[in-house]
Parts: sequence; C-alpha cells; structure tokens
Amino acid sequence: MDIKFLVVDDSVTMRRIVINSLKNLGYNNYVEAGDGKEALEKLGADSGINFVITDWNMPVLSGLDLVKTIRSDDKISSMPILMVTTRGVKEDIIEALQARVNNYVVKPFTPQILKEKIDQVLQAA
Amino acid sequence: MKQVSTMSDLFERLNDLKTVFKYGQKLIPIIQSIIDFMKETVPLLEDINTSIADSTSKIPRAKDQIDNISSATELATTEILDIADSISNDLDKIKQEFKLLEQKEIKRQEIWCGIKNLLKNEKNAQELIKEYEQLDNFLPLVKNFGKVFDKINNDVYNITLSLQVQDITSQQLAAVNHLIESVRQRLSSLIIHLDETELNNIDSVQIDSNNDSAFNPEAKYTKSQENQDLADVLVNQSLNKTSQDEIDKLFS
Repeated sequence: MDIKFLVVDDSVTMRRIVINSLKNLGYNNYVEAGDGKEALEKLGADSGINFVITDWNMPVLSGLDLVKTIRSDDKISSMPILMVTTRGVKEDIIEALQARVNNYVVKPFTPQILKEKIDQVLQAA
Repeated sequence: MKQVSTMSDLFERLNDLKTVFKYGQKLIPIIQSIIDFMKETVPLLEDINTSIADSTSKIPRAKDQIDNISSATELATTEILDIADSISNDLDKIKQEFKLLEQKEIKRQEIWCGIKNLLKNEKNAQELIKEYEQLDNFLPLVKNFGKVFDKINNDVYNITLSLQVQDITSQQLAAVNHLIESVRQRLSSLIIHLDETELNNIDSVQIDSNNDSAFNPEAKYTKSQENQDLADVLVNQSLNKTSQDEIDKLFS
C-alpha cells in the first residue's frame, strides 16, 4: 500500500525534519500544511492522503481542533492520525486521546520512536 | 425642671464639642504632615509614571528583538538543513559510485582467477602473479568505505534531528513574548496622570500579540523519555476502547 502522508506543523524546520525521517523510513509520498486550516483544505476530495502527522500548537486552527474536525467528518473520520507535539503532560495526552488521535509522539522525537508509532498506527488501521 | 435638663444637655454637648476641638487641634499637625507627605509624593508618583511609560514604550522593541532571534535561528536552521540535505545527496551519489566500483572489482577478481588458471603452468609468470596479488585487494577497502558513508549519513541525519531544538526554543520565546505583552498591558493600565497624547503614543504601538494556542509555554528540549513513556502507557490503555464513551470513562 502506497501511503501518502500529510505533515502538518507551523514550523518549517519541524516539517522538514519529519519529512526527512519519513524519507529515511522509505516513505516518499507526502504533502505539507502549515496549520490545521490548510491541512483541511489539502484533505479535500481526491487528495489521496491516508495518514496525517500533526503538531498540536499552531496558529489559525490547532492540531487538536484539526483532529476533532477530521473525526466529525464522515468522509475522513477513520483517517489515521499521529500527533507529534511538545505537549507531554498527562492532561494533554488524555485530551488528545479523547479527541481520538491514533498515537502520540512527544518532541523531541527519535527516529526509532517515530517509526514505532507509524508502524503501530498502520498495523491497527 | 425640663429647662434644667435642657441646659444640662447643652453643657454636655458643649463639652463634647470642646473635646472635638481639642482632638482637632491635636489632629491638625498630623493632617498637615499628611498633606506635606502627599506634596512630596506627587513628584515621585509622576516620576514613577514617566518611568512606567518609558518602560512600556520599550517593551515592543524587546518583543521585536525576540522575534528577530526566532527568525534568525529559523533561517540558520533552514541553512543547516539545506547543507545536511546536500551532504546526504552527495553521499548517496558517492555510495552508488562505490557500489558500481565494488561490482566491477568482483568481476575483475573473477577474470583474474581465470587468468591465473591459464597461467598456472607458466613458470615465468608465477613471480609476477605473486607480486600483483600483494598489490591488489580493493574489495575490503571498498566495502569499508560503504560502512563509513552509512555512518556519515546517519550522523548527518542525527544532526538534523537535533535541530528540533529550534522549534522548541521558538515556542519558549513565543511564550516569553506573550508574557512581555501581558506585562505591557498591565503597565499601561497603571499609568496615571499622563496626558492623552502620551497614552495614545504608547497604545498606537502595534503589538502582534501571539495567539497562545500557537505555542506551548511548557515546551522543553530534553533527552528524557519520561513523557513519551507516559504517552505510551496512556495510548496503550486507550487502544482497546472502541467507543468515545469508553475512552471518556477510562480517563474520567
């Protein structure tokens, strides 16, 4: 299965680091978005995107709101979502899980952790 | 009888009044000293006002400087990422060349074995064969280079991973800016006795107040896996829960 990733982060640096990591893992099909709103636009019809990696803290529309919006949209509600964020306190993680992210990575991440979480999400999907 | 009582009341009131005057006389110096103190305090308050106004007017500049630091570090990080990408691409090209070289070397050794077989009965050639074989063995060297290139590539990748610090520090700086903006607003509200023009001058300085959902004030760069471990535990707990109600119940 060819996986097309949507990498959502307001930091250009972080987007490049995540994309470099994806390339290292052999995933070369990806698109980028700088905030949740742009991500929703990219997730529109026929995007072919089947995996979202999103940051939490972003302007315009946060990652958490992006997750909630995706989950409430019947067309894309089952989209695998991995949250990659600096927010590492219990309350935040619970909030993200209640919003139904599939897995959670705390920044700064290691390539092993990112691979492990992507694999877990793909296996469960 | 009633008149006596009235007079007595009158004297009583007069006595009260006398007491009030007595106290009043005693209070006059105290009130005077309060007035003097206030007179001395007014210039001080004006100084404080001026000082607050001055500090408040400098805050946008401090905020700009912090923004400049964030932009500069982002730019520098992008440059490092560009260089890292360039090194990785060059290494990939060299690695491919070495792979070809390795294949050629294997082929060459096969041909050499054939030549040796053909020359095994040539007595004069044996000395030359021996000499040639001492000079020639590139294969382990080529293979070793491959490992070195992989290590360099991995090191470059690890450098790029360390650049996550830029995102984290920029969130910390955004949080500092947010705090500075809050202080500016408090200071502005403290300013008294400033004329309208000065207040307008301060308020006219446009501060692009950060949306606090755009950064995490608790962001930190740490090698500790503690938070990731916590996330893993919570994610694992929620994995078997299929409905929203079950997840909500789990964490309630």
